[in-house]
Amino acid sequence: MTVEEYAKFIEFFYRKTGIQFQENKRYYVERRIVERMEKTKSESFRDYFNLVRFQMDGQELQLLINAMTVNETYFFREDYQFQALIKGMLPSLVRGRDKRHALKIWSMPCSSGEEPYSIAIHILEFWDQADLWDIEILASDIDSKILAEARQGRYGARSVQRLPAHLLSRYFAPIGDGLYQIRDELRDSIDFTLVNIVDKLQTGRYRDMDVIFCRNLLIYFDDVARREAAEMMYEALRPGGFVCLGHSESMSRMTSLFVPRKFGDTIVYQKPSSAE
Amino acid sequence: MALVKSKSGPAAASMEPVGGDVASLLLSLSSDDARARRNAARELADHPQAAMALCDRLEHERGPSVRAVLFTSLIRLQSPDVAGRLAMHLRSDDAQLRNGAIEALQEMPDAIAPHLSDLLNDDDSDVRIFAVNILGALRFEEAPRLLTEVLRKESHINVCAAAVDALAEVGGMEAIEALEELRARFADDAFIVFAVDTAIRRIRAD
Ligand SMILES: C[S@@+](CC[C@H](N)C(=O)[O-])C[C@H]1O[C@@H](n2cnc3c(N)ncnc32)[C@H](O)[C@@H]1O
Repeated sequence: MTVEEYAKFIEFFYRKTGIQFQENKRYYVERRIVERMEKTKSESFRDYFNLVRFQMDGQELQLLINAMTVNETYFFREDYQFQALIKGMLPSLVRGRDKRHALKIWSMPCSSGEEPYSIAIHILEFWDQADLWDIEILASDIDSKILAEARQGRYGARSVQRLPAHLLSRYFAPIGDGLYQIRDELRDSIDFTLVNIVDKLQTGRYRDMDVIFCRNLLIYFDDVARREAAEMMYEALRPGGFVCLGHSESMSRMTSLFVPRKFGDTIVYQKPSSAE
Repeated sequence: MALVKSKSGPAAASMEPVGGDVASLLLSLSSDDARARRNAARELADHPQAAMALCDRLEHERGPSVRAVLFTSLIRLQSPDVAGRLAMHLRSDDAQLRNGAIEALQEMPDAIAPHLSDLLNDDDSDVRIFAVNILGALRFEEAPRLLTEVLRKESHINVCAAAVDALAEVGGMEAIEALEELRARFADDAFIVFAVDTAIRRIRAD
């Protein structure tokens, strides 16, 4: 792959996904492209790149995206934010709210599902008002392979190691080989969908969210793609709704659309209740 | 159980038409509905020929959320012309608009480059300060050199102070001489002395 080809490729990939690979990721990127070229029996990078760009059904682009994404996640990651959800955000959201009006929480990106399942477990275990409300948890990712894993709900020891033992036994069944299967009630309560956060058509379908968890994705984006993501979340939220970012991410360089709110040890971002 | 699956599914949720031709998007820029204006501004980011219309809209737009999207689309459509229009807002009394323009200009090094020398020599010291603020966050190779030039030529103390802060962020060893000269020039000013010492310490630590 020549320098120009690499530059063209990362520009293309950035336009499709918002993910910006720096020069120092060249090895990471090239290794994955070579793998995909072998799988598709492409003779040259040019052939492969044409396949990715012009294939009608976009299947190879999807497989390439699946190969490029970093899916690292685990149960109860940055769980102080889930506590902030229970102790701060949910109580604030239900104040004066009509009971018929479901609460909507969107985990975006959800990777292999640990995050939305952790949200569900926190709500069921720790929110004393959980039974009074209908709560919808939606979960999305750009990676179709990792979404299939999320729907399957099968996890290894490393992924569940932060879960207290009694919660592990309450919500999972050991299925041998050190694997745990999440219980069907939980699995069936979450709506997993394939969504690319930079695709306006896809994200435009998500409305009236109360809380969006968008954690450990925007670190891979450049400034302007981050701004666009923040503006997308603004559209998707109800007035007064919240965004939770990963601990190394902050809205301050992205946008002034949201108001920072401190709950316990964490800062989350609120869409003003008066927003138009 | 408390958890329920969405009855309608996201796909069935209300969906406004996105896209549309440029002419109708341009019309929607002045719709009464803020969401429609944001949608139009967002969609027009794909249409370079709409750049000046977006700049025009920014002159009238009052909604902060719509302004935010206008700025983002203009970053996507950046050009020296767009940067020139945005730079006019550095004179605005509306702090939100001004800050939005500064942040947007910080995202377009190549587009703002041709305007920098005018802005740094503007009659209005506030505009010079904002130009220095932009330089301090601009991914632009020339930024440290332009900032040291400010230290040498600028007489207004607040502009110098802003340049010292900016150099603390982006400056290298080559800035130290100019910083020391500035400290000598304002030796009686405790704030400048402190700011220069801090900047030099930070540069040396990098
Ligand atoms: C590091 S994981 C974060 C998972 C989880 N939120 C957490 O914090 O543990 C990042 C995920 O973002 C997904 N992703 C990358 N680009 C995306 C895009 N444009 N739209 C949606 N998801 C994306 C990847 O597939 C990956 O699963």
